[in-house]
Amino acid sequence: MIRLQNIEKVYRTSTVETLALSSINLDIAKGEFLSIMGPSGCGKSTLLNIMGLLDAPSKGDIKIDNQKTDHLSDKQLAAFRNKKLGFIFQSYHLINDLQVLDNVELPLLYRDSTAKERKMLATEALEKVGLANRVKHFPNQLSGGQKQRVAIARAIVGRPEIILADEPTGNLDSAMGSEILDILLQLNQKDGTTIVMVTHDENMAHKTHRLVRLFDGSQVQ
Amino acid sequence: MFKHLFKLIWNKKKQNFLLMSEILVSFLVIFAVFTLVVYYYHNYKKPMGLDYQGVWVINYSNSYQTKNTDSLNLYYSTLVQTIKSLPQVKQVSFTADNTPFTQNMNTGGITFNNKKMDGNNWYTVDDNYKNVLNMDLLEGRWFNKGDYATKSKPIVINSDLKEKLFGNGSALGKLIGDGDNKSKMRVIGVVQSIKIKGDYANTEAGLYQRTDTGSFRWLGKMLVKVTPDADATFEGKLYKTVANYMKNSDVEIEHLADKRVSINYFTLVPIIVLLIVACFLIINVALGLFGVLWYNINKRRGEIGLRRAIGATGNSVSSQLVFEAMILATLSLIIGTFFAIQFPLLNVFSLPASVYIIALFLSIIFIYLLVFVCSLHPGKQAAAIYPAVALHEE
Repeated sequence: MIRLQNIEKVYRTSTVETLALSSINLDIAKGEFLSIMGPSGCGKSTLLNIMGLLDAPSKGDIKIDNQKTDHLSDKQLAAFRNKKLGFIFQSYHLINDLQVLDNVELPLLYRDSTAKERKMLATEALEKVGLANRVKHFPNQLSGGQKQRVAIARAIVGRPEIILADEPTGNLDSAMGSEILDILLQLNQKDGTTIVMVTHDENMAHKTHRLVRLFDGSQVQ
Repeated sequence: MFKHLFKLIWNKKKQNFLLMSEILVSFLVIFAVFTLVVYYYHNYKKPMGLDYQGVWVINYSNSYQTKNTDSLNLYYSTLVQTIKSLPQVKQVSFTADNTPFTQNMNTGGITFNNKKMDGNNWYTVDDNYKNVLNMDLLEGRWFNKGDYATKSKPIVINSDLKEKLFGNGSALGKLIGDGDNKSKMRVIGVVQSIKIKGDYANTEAGLYQRTDTGSFRWLGKMLVKVTPDADATFEGKLYKTVANYMKNSDVEIEHLADKRVSINYFTLVPIIVLLIVACFLIINVALGLFGVLWYNINKRRGEIGLRRAIGATGNSVSSQLVFEAMILATLSLIIGTFFAIQFPLLNVFSLPASVYIIALFLSIIFIYLLVFVCSLHPGKQAAAIYPAVALHEE
């Protein structure tokens, strides 16, 4: 599903050159739930951003669903992200001025869909994460766990094949973290969604199919 | 997408209130400026109604004082003949102080069909006035010596007064004024209204009443039509001729063309001041808009990063921000238009409705352009935000 070959990422400023990722080779199969672990600053989020086509590698190739992505234009990349990928972030990234339903509908605004379809799909996604009764709420009226569930609903509303989650439980207590992980596991098991999750939590990582460890930008496991 | 943006703006109405107020105030000031500009242009396009080139105004005072009408007639007839004998003089006319392009006014009411209408200009002129100013006669005739002995006092009205009193009907022979028919004034002609207050002023309703040499002592001005070769030397000669004749009088010669330039400045000064104020305001608003949009973009970097991540292109993020600014402008313009439209509806300042409508239209275009230009650069900056960086910052 996702193939990374010799990925290298270097951040350059006028005075400093920082190697964030070095020789990353990774194959992620369709329907796999992979977790990435490593100490802070080891390049986990950079790797996830590269997989999510939010950042370009300095070297190496990325293939998603057998499609090379290095030659895609801004428009093609945007369409690719919209249809194939769903993102979940540690700090949720919900728009506080929009109600829950509108937040979940967001990815559908960037594809051809009617208001009725958007509403139907968003309600369905919210039902999946158990927040069907919170559609009219604003994000600041929700708990951290609920916010993350809204973010998951937003990630799955467009029915993407891949979900990239960057420390989805990082801001939550262990009970809420477990709830979120359960939802992700269900999505993986029931819908066959491929999930790549960056986490600091060893227990959670062990519940996934495979664990990849990074250290100083290199893959150590 | 429109509904989504509208929802976003509506939910942020408190944050957007100041920006909307700024746009609203600018719109109202721009509307005022455009109203004046359109009104002046509207007046400028109208015909002047007179030919001011080569017309000089001789101001005199302390003229010949006697109660003997024959002596007065002789005195002024001789003065006219003396002036006319100068080779560069084509026509001479006596008139009251409200000559074209002065601030002097003589206004009064007119009664017609028992209805009094105020604010009409009264001009006291002689038989040569029309020829000196080359005025257009639209109906009937101008005064002549035969009018001295008519039963009703003859008057000539201008086209504005004709429209005011008679609409599209004929004015000739109609009696105007109070009392019985003897004391009423009879309309003998209609002339084109003249822009007495300069190029940018509107024409006003007015009537011309006849005077002759017997009454010239009450007047204070002569209009002299001169040939194109009349120069400063001739002006000196004319001055000496008049001053020598009117021994105790203070004589001054002015050119109608210079008076026109002077009164035009007088009319243009308020609009120039208003334009300068408006320019500063527009610069202020532009900088304010630019600043607020710039600030919004920096505040919304996370949202912009998220939108890019979930499928927005750089261009669609940029257009979204421009579009949001345009929606805010539209909301302000709806409120502004509500206030602006009251001016033609309530006929405030008695300007033609078309002036307000054109000014309204121009102001709307101007505000949209201003908002568009001010949001374009911040929008481009937003498009350049790298999603991975923006999402990481949050």
